[in-house]
Amino acid sequence: MKSWWWKAVGVLLLLYVVIVGLHTPLAPALVHVSEDKLSPGRADVLVTGYNTRFTADAPQAWLENDDQFVCATSATAERDDRLRVVFDVPAGMRRDLSHLVVRSNGRTLVFHDAFWNPAKGDGIAGTGCTPPEEDSAEVFEFPDRSVLYETIRNLFFHVPMWFTMMWLMTVSLFHSLRTLRDNDLEQDRAAVSAVNTGLLFAFLGLTTGSIWARNTWGTWWTSDPQLNGAAAVTLIYLAYLVLRGSVNEMDKRSRLAAIYNIFAYALMIVFFMVLPRLTDSLHPGKGGNPAFSKYDLDHHLRTVFYPAVAGWVLVGTWLYTLRRRARRIEAWLDDEAHA
Amino acid sequence: MRPAEILHLLRLELRLDLHQRHAVGGSLLYVVSAVFVAYQAMQGRAEGTAWNALFWIILLFAAFNTLARSFQREDAGQHLYLYTLADPRNVILARVIYGAGTMLALSLLSFAMYVLFLGHAPMDGGNALQYLIAVMAGGTGFAAVLTLVSAIASRAGNGVGLMAVLGFPIVLPLLLSAIKAGHLALIGMPWSVTGKYLLWLGVIDVIAVALAWVLFPYLWRDR
Amino acid sequence: MMKHMHKLAAAATGALLSVRTFASSAAPDWVEETFYRSGKINAVIAVVTVVLLGLALWMFRSDRRLARLEKRMNERSKG
Repeated sequence: MKSWWWKAVGVLLLLYVVIVGLHTPLAPALVHVSEDKLSPGRADVLVTGYNTRFTADAPQAWLENDDQFVCATSATAERDDRLRVVFDVPAGMRRDLSHLVVRSNGRTLVFHDAFWNPAKGDGIAGTGCTPPEEDSAEVFEFPDRSVLYETIRNLFFHVPMWFTMMWLMTVSLFHSLRTLRDNDLEQDRAAVSAVNTGLLFAFLGLTTGSIWARNTWGTWWTSDPQLNGAAAVTLIYLAYLVLRGSVNEMDKRSRLAAIYNIFAYALMIVFFMVLPRLTDSLHPGKGGNPAFSKYDLDHHLRTVFYPAVAGWVLVGTWLYTLRRRARRIEAWLDDEAHA
Repeated sequence: MRPAEILHLLRLELRLDLHQRHAVGGSLLYVVSAVFVAYQAMQGRAEGTAWNALFWIILLFAAFNTLARSFQREDAGQHLYLYTLADPRNVILARVIYGAGTMLALSLLSFAMYVLFLGHAPMDGGNALQYLIAVMAGGTGFAAVLTLVSAIASRAGNGVGLMAVLGFPIVLPLLLSAIKAGHLALIGMPWSVTGKYLLWLGVIDVIAVALAWVLFPYLWRDR
Repeated sequence: MMKHMHKLAAAATGALLSVRTFASSAAPDWVEETFYRSGKINAVIAVVTVVLLGLALWMFRSDRRLARLEKRMNERSKG
């Protein structure tokens, strides 16, 4: 086995990603409230939590917005993930009491924009209840984001597919350039092997992305610049394979394929880099600025996401070298057969 | 790069086109019938988005139709003749320039036909000058991108079908930007918004021509 | 930890039983219940499954390819 250590590193990284990525719990969060309107007077709200332990202590709840606070008259845990909260909502609040805050087991859980209030006025700033102080204990857990919930873990199994695909297509570009320079069929075999492997990751990226989209945005496919770009890239490299299939002469095939690869790659990069900046995208951090720091990955996600990208890229490279070596043997056998 | 040689090659292309008038006529007829079919299908009432999209699709197919001729029509004799006489870089530049000229004329003509048949109602609230620039930049852009593809397809010896397969995904960024620019022009966006896309179309044109210029010599040579 | 494993197992069973949409507006109580309790873990399971299946398919194809090469090699060494 040719230099094995980086392959082992790739596998170990993925092992780490699977274990930590699937095992780390989501942070407790509020996911549902039974009412969306709080009229003045008594309001009885059933709050659903996720990964919460409401029964473990006596939770406190209050409504909050823009320095107005209204504390609950009672908060009773019915289950670990269910809390019944009763408010005495005053009339004539200055703003909507939109955010619901629950404090449980030393953690502050916020449900943003949970309610709106009819009968607003401009007199009352709040009912003079002061929320308890915070003590923040650092726990290793993933953030619980609305819409995403557990699917935030797909970050480690979907996004790296595209990184790996782009990496393999870049490897292919490198070998295509060398094909033109050196007229070397080995370089051509490397280029096509990288494209083949890259297409595997493209299909995995498309399928996993589709499943994820169905569970968060509600559709299998949307007209999103990212998705369109991904589809275009897949089509380009399928066309590359069609081109190869339609030329029999090996020298000519290597040259035509290399030229198409370089041309397509350049236009594709342009497509990927610029178009998403021009249009809005559903993908986080896109629309005006696809800079990666805008992805607002929190640092717990990062500690798994970066190893995931590295691991998938290494394993993808491994698959590519296997393909390339098989092709080389095949070519040798073909030559022998002709000789 | 010798301008005199490029000029000579351009004249050669023109002579060839004048010689094969049926081919040029074919392109024109294609546009006319496509517009007519669109007119029938839309019952003459196309709203903004559909009006814009339909126009670009017609133009896209017209471009494939026209630019496929760029290299498909040369027979082995002509190839050898050009190969011995001309620098490949001049050949591709001449072909791109000629293709861009043809496409410019063809896109303006298609646009005129299109407006004539399907009406200019969607354009009334927008900026006609912006749309016209988008049409011209898009049309020449198709030429810039598809000329090299046409060369690849013809060298692969697999005619127009392969050209469509190779060309569609590659032309997609250009097409989507052009459709977007057209859309913005139709809804009457200011120059600061539409201009970004028009500039972008120009950038794609330049990149495509530069790549064709660099890559074509490798395609041209038969070792 | 055990609690979490338990949840995953429950969700896996849920995924086998139904990968139904949660977005239905007039959702009956039990749908809402499953949704909020599982936190969409089904989607994660599906994604990981797809990735593993994709890799497995790739391995099978490579296997077939190598088998073909081996056959050719054996024929050569015989003839």
